Amino acid sequence: MRKTATALLAAVSAGALALTGCSPTESASGGSTTITFWHGYTEADGDVLAQIVEDFNASQDEVVVETEVKTWDVIDDTLLPALSAEEGPEIVAMPAERMPVYADKGAFVDLGDLYESDENVGEIVPAAADMMTAEDTRFGVPTGFVPLAVFYNRALFEAAGITGFPATWDEWVDVATKLTVDENGDGTPEQYGLALPDHATVANGLWPSLFYGAGGELVADGEAVIDSPENVAALEYWSSAVATNRISPTGLDGIGADELFSSGKAAMHVGGPWMASISEANDIDYGIAAIPAGPEAQAASAIGVGMGITAQADDAQIEGAEAFFSYFFSEDVATEWSLGSGWPPLRADIPASAVESNPVVASLTEIAETGRPLLPGVTASVDVLKAVDTATQKALAGGEPGALLADAQAQIEAALAE
Amino acid sequence: MTTTLQRPAPRYRPPAPLGGRTPHARSARRSLLALLFLGPALVLLGAFVAWPMLSAFRLSFTDSSGFGRESWVGLENYVRVFADPDVLRALGNTALYAALFTPTAVVTALVLALALNHPRLPLRGAFRTALFLPFVVSLAVAAFAWSYLLDPQIGLLNFWLRGAGLQLGNVLQDPALAMPTVALVAVWKNFGFYMVIFLAGLQEIPGSLREAAVVDGASPWQRFRHITLPMLSNTFAFVLIVALIAALQAFDQIYVMTGGGPFGSTQTIVMEIYESGFRELELGFASALSYVLLGITLLLSLLQFVFFGRREKDLQ
Amino acid sequence: MTTISLPRPRRVHAASVMLAVAMVLATAAALLPIAIIVFTAFKPVAEVNAYPPTLVPGAWTLENFARIFEELPFARLIGNSVIFAGGVTLFALVFDSLAAYALARIDFRGSKVLLIAIIASLMIPFQATLIPVYQLVADLGLINTFAGLIAPRAADAFGIFFLRQFFLSLPRDLDNAARIDGASEFRIFRSVVLPNAVPALLTLGIFTFVNNWNDLLWPLVFTTEAEMGTITSGLTLLTGPGGIIPQGVMMAGSLIAVLPLAVMFLMIQRRFIESVASTGMK
Repeated sequence: MRKTATALLAAVSAGALALTGCSPTESASGGSTTITFWHGYTEADGDVLAQIVEDFNASQDEVVVETEVKTWDVIDDTLLPALSAEEGPEIVAMPAERMPVYADKGAFVDLGDLYESDENVGEIVPAAADMMTAEDTRFGVPTGFVPLAVFYNRALFEAAGITGFPATWDEWVDVATKLTVDENGDGTPEQYGLALPDHATVANGLWPSLFYGAGGELVADGEAVIDSPENVAALEYWSSAVATNRISPTGLDGIGADELFSSGKAAMHVGGPWMASISEANDIDYGIAAIPAGPEAQAASAIGVGMGITAQADDAQIEGAEAFFSYFFSEDVATEWSLGSGWPPLRADIPASAVESNPVVASLTEIAETGRPLLPGVTASVDVLKAVDTATQKALAGGEPGALLADAQAQIEAALAE
Repeated sequence: MTTTLQRPAPRYRPPAPLGGRTPHARSARRSLLALLFLGPALVLLGAFVAWPMLSAFRLSFTDSSGFGRESWVGLENYVRVFADPDVLRALGNTALYAALFTPTAVVTALVLALALNHPRLPLRGAFRTALFLPFVVSLAVAAFAWSYLLDPQIGLLNFWLRGAGLQLGNVLQDPALAMPTVALVAVWKNFGFYMVIFLAGLQEIPGSLREAAVVDGASPWQRFRHITLPMLSNTFAFVLIVALIAALQAFDQIYVMTGGGPFGSTQTIVMEIYESGFRELELGFASALSYVLLGITLLLSLLQFVFFGRREKDLQ
Repeated sequence: MTTISLPRPRRVHAASVMLAVAMVLATAAALLPIAIIVFTAFKPVAEVNAYPPTLVPGAWTLENFARIFEELPFARLIGNSVIFAGGVTLFALVFDSLAAYALARIDFRGSKVLLIAIIASLMIPFQATLIPVYQLVADLGLINTFAGLIAPRAADAFGIFFLRQFFLSLPRDLDNAARIDGASEFRIFRSVVLPNAVPALLTLGIFTFVNNWNDLLWPLVFTTEAEMGTITSGLTLLTGPGGIIPQGVMMAGSLIAVLPLAVMFLMIQRRFIESVASTGMK
């Protein structure tokens, strides 16, 4: 026994030494510049992106882009250590709302000149480009920009005899009330008309969308404006709709709302393009519609993804990465990416007709102009959204909207001042 | 071997080795010997624990984000720790979590270890394996299982209770219930490990002691109080300190189950450290907060050591 | 197990029935979430999110398992996990037990201070030191290597503290006898203390192995290349619609990932009992 243990130990030490020696070799593709690209596109969109990268590498012989696919959460957890030792990627994609935080600490190369001089990058949809801007510097380019949309369960609509999709808030609440079913009358519906999460909503965009509809904003020109009368009215409107008509459970978060819709317990859900495939996986016959118009506007917060060039890139790598971006936004590639990712085209000059082969993309492209970037350029977005979450969750739990938004106003002011 | 173990062995220093060495030379020799044993561990701990801790300590006086530029800010981060209402609330939450988790986990583990060690228990091995299983499951998976149980709309537990006309409510979204629920899940996840440690400790207790007590007519409680507990005091002190440290560093299960909500009611110190360091890229502040946590934990642990040290002395 | 003549056998018998019943209840409660994991692994996607929820699948399927084997290089990931978790465990057991022996059994100046320093190092959350550790491993050129994954954990303050407590409790008569016989300190450590500490070593071994096997962030941070990933980090790549991990697939993967751990525990726990019996300490 003793001998075995000693022998085992010796073997392991030898093994460890050998392993140290055989670390994976550096990519030595002589002469050309290698660029590492981290992104979180893991499905069909990932396959299309891999093809785009492969085609780009084949199209020229100066730059080689090497992709490492991780999930978005993993990118957020591992990017900081990687950057701290300059072991990270030269190009990294991440949810758009995370980029200003990194940009503020100097993690990204300014792409202002690229936007000015490159004919492809210059064609990017202005709202999507705004999402990549802070204090007049462009820290990245968008890879996705899509307004939140309402996904609805056609079977449940049919069963309730509803034919058209509501166009205004009042109609929306009306339809949601009709779709709410409490058969045994115990006060807890078995089926909800709408899954209205009150915190951690999809891309944090649901409540900003409702505030926009009432004519309000979260932050305007760097100032907190959350406790405006418009926002108070919007929060009152929706909390009373939930309280009196029970159209949605309270205390729901974005993932819970996804689950409620995909389990067939909610007839409507505000979500992103992936709800299409989630619905299909759960055998739900779905339709897509724009968020109905509020008293002041029809608007929806957009879900965004972007990519930037990190500060660890040297000049040759920056040049190579910019060449890749230019390629990515050329008309054909941008169309290919839109169809493959299922998100609307990022170039303003690509018409909906060019993507009609994918019905989901076509319907999202139709409502694309309702999209507004969420908190563009606000570095303290984490704190701002946390304050909004607290206010909405407390309001739906029975709190007083005016007072709650006043609290949120104070918190956001403090966060912006830091 | 058995014959030497009739009663707890008294602790005494090893007899002086033969030969006329001076006490000084002996102590130098012992220090050298100790160094040989400690060497490999000290080198590794020095490089991968002590040095990073020193680096973090230095960072706590800067505004570093982990990369790029940084500048010296003196005590600003520490001042902010004690002025920030979020941090103060997180301190309170952490204390609540520790008060819920530590005693529950330790007592559950001890009771189950005693039961498993009971000579009359059938199927001991099966019970032991089953009770240890929660510790083996990774947390992300466990969190799914618990949310599948606890979800207020589509959860299994509520579905079953609904049949009986009861409603559990939304425990993870209720500011009063979220923390107890998270602590309960942590107890479920970890008691198995503490239980196994107690088992290892219990098996060190010579059976002869117990037999002698049975012959003397001691009640089960008396046996527990006067034999098991004192003989277990090293193990107990260890489990208590380890459970306390784990409680003060509560993070994983909160991160996956509530993300600190609702309304920050489950936001702990380490959640705060993670968010400020990895989400807001304020590594300097996160480091300062980490050192404040270290200070608090050290203080509480020293108090415990003093307590157990005194008890040990009382026993001898 | 020692047979003891028990007074008042009838009452004890009733007590042992109650004990068994209580243990069955406790075990059932502990196992309910595990049952959910196991059954979910065999559910079709639509049933996982369906309402009403079910414990036992209505329709059993192996499609979740099929998908994992299709999409993940399973053998490679499990192999990586074995090298990583196994390597950390073996090194940590050796280095920790040596250090713990010195702290428990050798009287030397500064041992108290050293012990407190070691325990104190447990009190800093790992989030605070992750970045300095990463920078060090990167400076050593060990990112994306097993050495870089293992070395920072090859000695472990927790393990040293744990074993020190255990060694303290071992009776000193044994080593004193050996010492009088002229045995060297290392000999005493190897042939007297270690054999008596098998339960503690196994406990620590299981703990270290399980924790590293299940660790998600560590392998993700220290290996950026997919082929260096462990089974736990690899499972995160299995995403479904919207980048959300499909629960059934996740549970199936975790079930496979956890199987080696469960088998290991079953094997070890038999040794656990034997070793205790063979040291004659019961």
